[in-house]
Amino acid sequence: MPASSEGPATAGRLQNTEPPATAEPPATAEPPATAEPPATAEPPARAERAVILPKHLHARPAGLIAQAAARYPQTTIEIVADGRRADARSILAVMALGAVAGSEVLVRTAGAQADGATATVVAILTAAED
Amino acid sequence: MVGIVLVSHSPALAEGAAELVGQIAGGARVVPAGGTEDGRLGTSTRLIVDAIAKADQGAGVLVIPDLGSSVLSARAVIADLDPGAPPVALADAPFVEGAVAAGVAASIGADLSAVARAAEEARDARKL
Repeated sequence: MPASSEGPATAGRLQNTEPPATAEPPATAEPPATAEPPATAEPPARAERAVILPKHLHARPAGLIAQAAARYPQTTIEIVADGRRADARSILAVMALGAVAGSEVLVRTAGAQADGATATVVAILTAAED
Repeated sequence: MVGIVLVSHSPALAEGAAELVGQIAGGARVVPAGGTEDGRLGTSTRLIVDAIAKADQGAGVLVIPDLGSSVLSARAVIADLDPGAPPVALADAPFVEGAVAAGVAASIGADLSAVARAAEEARDARKL
């Protein structure tokens, strides 16, 4: 993975505990509000969306997610399934979530373009099986 | 874009892994170098040299060996490269997982050291 510019995103590792210490320090003025509706003029610094998977989160969608995540270098993107979290940039970590069709996963993003990154990943997760 | 060469004793294994990575990491250039020149199990420095040339697009090449003499042959090839040739690195990584992770990294334009790191991080990736 392009071990994201923010830090040593331990790509292969799943993290069960609190957000990785590497995750994007809340820079200077952290806007307190969370979970705004999408498509506001100011993109929110954090975004979170839950989706029900229409298909298993297997190799191909995991690869698409990792590729898409690279388009958001300033954004921390996590996928959480069954209490386990994976860095979206790591295809192996995402696959290791073992998330199956019908289960709920959470897309959690922070940083610039959090909203766009969330929408992009959600679109991949919810796309019909190809 | 960084190119990737998969070195295996088995032509089928190298080709299958390359096909898999090509499917998962669309856009990456992954070239198999499996077996001997006459298609038997083994490794061939000649095939590895040719594969590196085919994989190279100017940004360097990551060579991922499976085990044993794949590693030795790949090392021998890399040691003999022209000093002026594009950089070639050898990954110490699990073959399939490393190839997939490296392929994704290459496909998004990561540089050679980042692609190599992606492959090597696969050592720590839990499967379950």
